[in-house]
Amino acid sequence: MTIRVTNLSYHYRNQRERTLDGLSTEFKPGEVTLIAGASGCGKTTLIRCINGLIPRSYTGGELSGAIELFGQDTAALTLATISQIIGTVLQDPEKQIVASDVTSEIAFGLENLGLPRDEIRERIAHTAELLHISNLLTRETFLLSGGEKQKVALAGVLAMRPRAVLLDEPLASLDPASGREALALMRHLADAGIAVVIIEHRIEDVLAIHPEHCVYMSAGRITYDGDAAGLLQSVDWREIKLPASVVMQRVRAAGMAVPHRARSKSPEQVGSKSIIEYRQVGFGYADGPEVLHDINCAIRRGEIIALIGPNGAGKSTLLKHAIGLNRPVRGQVLVDGVDSAALTVAQLARAVGFVFQSPSHMLFAPTVREELAFGPRNIGLDAETIALNTDNALATVALTGTEDQPPLALSFGQQKRISIASILTMNPRIVIMDEPTAGQDYANYTHFMDDIVSHMRTDAESANAKPGFEALAFITHDLDLAITYANRIMLVADGRIVADGTPEEVLLDTARLERCRIHPTSLLEANLAALNKTTPSGMQSHRFMSAAELAFLA
Amino acid sequence: MLVTWKYRPRNTLMQRLDPRARLIFFLCYLLSVFMFWDVRVLSGFLVITLLTVLSAKLSWKDTRQTWLLLGSFTTFYALITFITGRAGNNLYQTEHIIAVLQAPFVVLGWQPTVAISIEQVFLALSQFSRVSSIAAITLLIPYTFDPAMYGVTFRQLGLPDKLAFALDLTMRFVPSLGRDFAMTMDAQKARGYEMERRSGGLLGQVRKLTPLLVPVVIHSIISGEEITDAMDLRAFGTQPRTWLRRLSYARRDYIVIAVSLILLATSVAANLSGLGRFWAP
Repeated sequence: MTIRVTNLSYHYRNQRERTLDGLSTEFKPGEVTLIAGASGCGKTTLIRCINGLIPRSYTGGELSGAIELFGQDTAALTLATISQIIGTVLQDPEKQIVASDVTSEIAFGLENLGLPRDEIRERIAHTAELLHISNLLTRETFLLSGGEKQKVALAGVLAMRPRAVLLDEPLASLDPASGREALALMRHLADAGIAVVIIEHRIEDVLAIHPEHCVYMSAGRITYDGDAAGLLQSVDWREIKLPASVVMQRVRAAGMAVPHRARSKSPEQVGSKSIIEYRQVGFGYADGPEVLHDINCAIRRGEIIALIGPNGAGKSTLLKHAIGLNRPVRGQVLVDGVDSAALTVAQLARAVGFVFQSPSHMLFAPTVREELAFGPRNIGLDAETIALNTDNALATVALTGTEDQPPLALSFGQQKRISIASILTMNPRIVIMDEPTAGQDYANYTHFMDDIVSHMRTDAESANAKPGFEALAFITHDLDLAITYANRIMLVADGRIVADGTPEEVLLDTARLERCRIHPTSLLEANLAALNKTTPSGMQSHRFMSAAELAFLA
Repeated sequence: MLVTWKYRPRNTLMQRLDPRARLIFFLCYLLSVFMFWDVRVLSGFLVITLLTVLSAKLSWKDTRQTWLLLGSFTTFYALITFITGRAGNNLYQTEHIIAVLQAPFVVLGWQPTVAISIEQVFLALSQFSRVSSIAAITLLIPYTFDPAMYGVTFRQLGLPDKLAFALDLTMRFVPSLGRDFAMTMDAQKARGYEMERRSGGLLGQVRKLTPLLVPVVIHSIISGEEITDAMDLRAFGTQPRTWLRRLSYARRDYIVIAVSLILLATSVAANLSGLGRFWAP
């Protein structure tokens, strides 16, 4: 008895192409299945078909083919029945949690099934124990950390005793250590006889729990269906992030030219003048405890800084001080040598560009052109400059040609780029991005980061000769992103900068990384193994590289 | 996801009461205050309100901003009433002027002048007592009402499952909207947007708010759909639902409900018999 998908196709009412085009596959109890594929390949739609939201909640599309859940045809089942066979954990646990406290959240599905109170209580206790969250039962859901929220969302699903669990990108909002815990749990569930289906971009992490079955989707079709070893050899390593050793081996075997990658500078080439300087900064929210302690650092021209650290470490809080969205309770933040305390956010925005994590919190204009003109107009740039900056910014994020489209009609990845472009048009000296790659697939964000980094202005280039910013700082959970692009890494934990320096200085101490809930990746290991080969001539420090570049080292 | 108000468990009579009894008291009290314009009665209500607020044992630290906002709002509202005498027309016919204030300057040939009557003073006082009582009692709810109880309270007051849960979501929607608004405000500030720089007519003002309103509205719609999906996936609304928590009245709850109903009945009776209308010495 399995979940059998036969010749499944789906066509959303308002889309030109079919989103799913003749899929057939099978998910077995006791197995972990990994489904990978680029954004828009139809993974989420497949999940919606299996869990019954299509066609029950998403109506009006054309569905054909068949799905059989352990011998029963889904077409004949109600959502209530399906929900007891298949549990779905949505991409973002924030979107899944409906109740205000943890007990109510786990109880929600059971209450809806009309179970007796005693049984509900017994199942809550049992599920909470299974997931080690008994200590959270009385907590309010919105105060939980990202990892805790996900466990609670999962508990709400598991309490309904499903025979299969579908997870849509469960790792997206978790720090690496929380992600590993979540995956270990998935393995445990599969070993207990549940069919576990995980949709995920972060293949390397999922491979750690040895999925028995891997599926690769592309443009609504299944292009690979087999074991993990086969997947690693068959998919394009530029489309999806594979373990570093696999990429190196495949690049060497193919003998292809080293892909051109925009380079950050070596730490020695960084300028000396600081754009932003934190002096003894301490911060706490009104009436709350201090959340940032003794922050001392300067951001200089030419730097590409990655801030890494666990959920809730204070990374965003720290960077928001640069533009005055948070104000230090103790100490000072200097922007271009001037104490920022006397300046408004709008004034600081001329020097500091801050891109928020979620584009939906800022996009509002009827066209991309107007969206991009909003910032520069606010700070008083003239129409000619705005037009020029708009062209440049769209080129940087590779969205030239979308000027007259409504930004809200674009895909999520495109919206994310528009939100960055709308900051670039203000000509800031430094650009700060909070989780720039979240929700985008590997190929997408690799192109985009390459473009952004290549638009950074170097010391020799004057502002007139080349548009662009002088420094970049980004927050990320993706250690490989930091390794590939940053020339400086700040490790933040518990409101302090735990380590700050070149990638080598910060990442060499893997025990310290583990303490900060960051797990060394295969790319880090490959870089550390190649350290003696990666010193650029005349430089002291080593350069960290992408796997494709490492492949061609002598 | 939805966030909740800043509730904390406290060992007070108010929070030991059955939430249904509290809701009934709240509604009766509110309606009763509406029945009166007589400042002598309203000041009595104001005293009860203050005692109720004190009995809630909220900490000043937690609620400072709320009370300051409430204080400035009611004072401002009373002042407007005082200066314009607005709403007075239906309440009193004759006015007794006690002082005429003239501004010591002339603007464009017009010297601002305010004539103060006894009626105006007492109208302002009544207005202040009414608004303060209603607002203060209402503001207690988010701080003292356990969010986990919203749904079951409405359900056990007799509303159907779906409506009770919808009200639960609505109660939590308001603070969530506040959070989204704050996030959008920050994101737009980072693009040089300044609230203070609003100018132009009403239409211009609204237009300048679009960078805040559009993202917040869009966000609400999207999260509404997400919540619907999440609820559907867990079989919401497919059959009569169990509510894990169960409320039961204690003796003190019956007393509170009885007192509330008597208060409301008395107030309505007084109002119908012409008592408690506007009064000035």
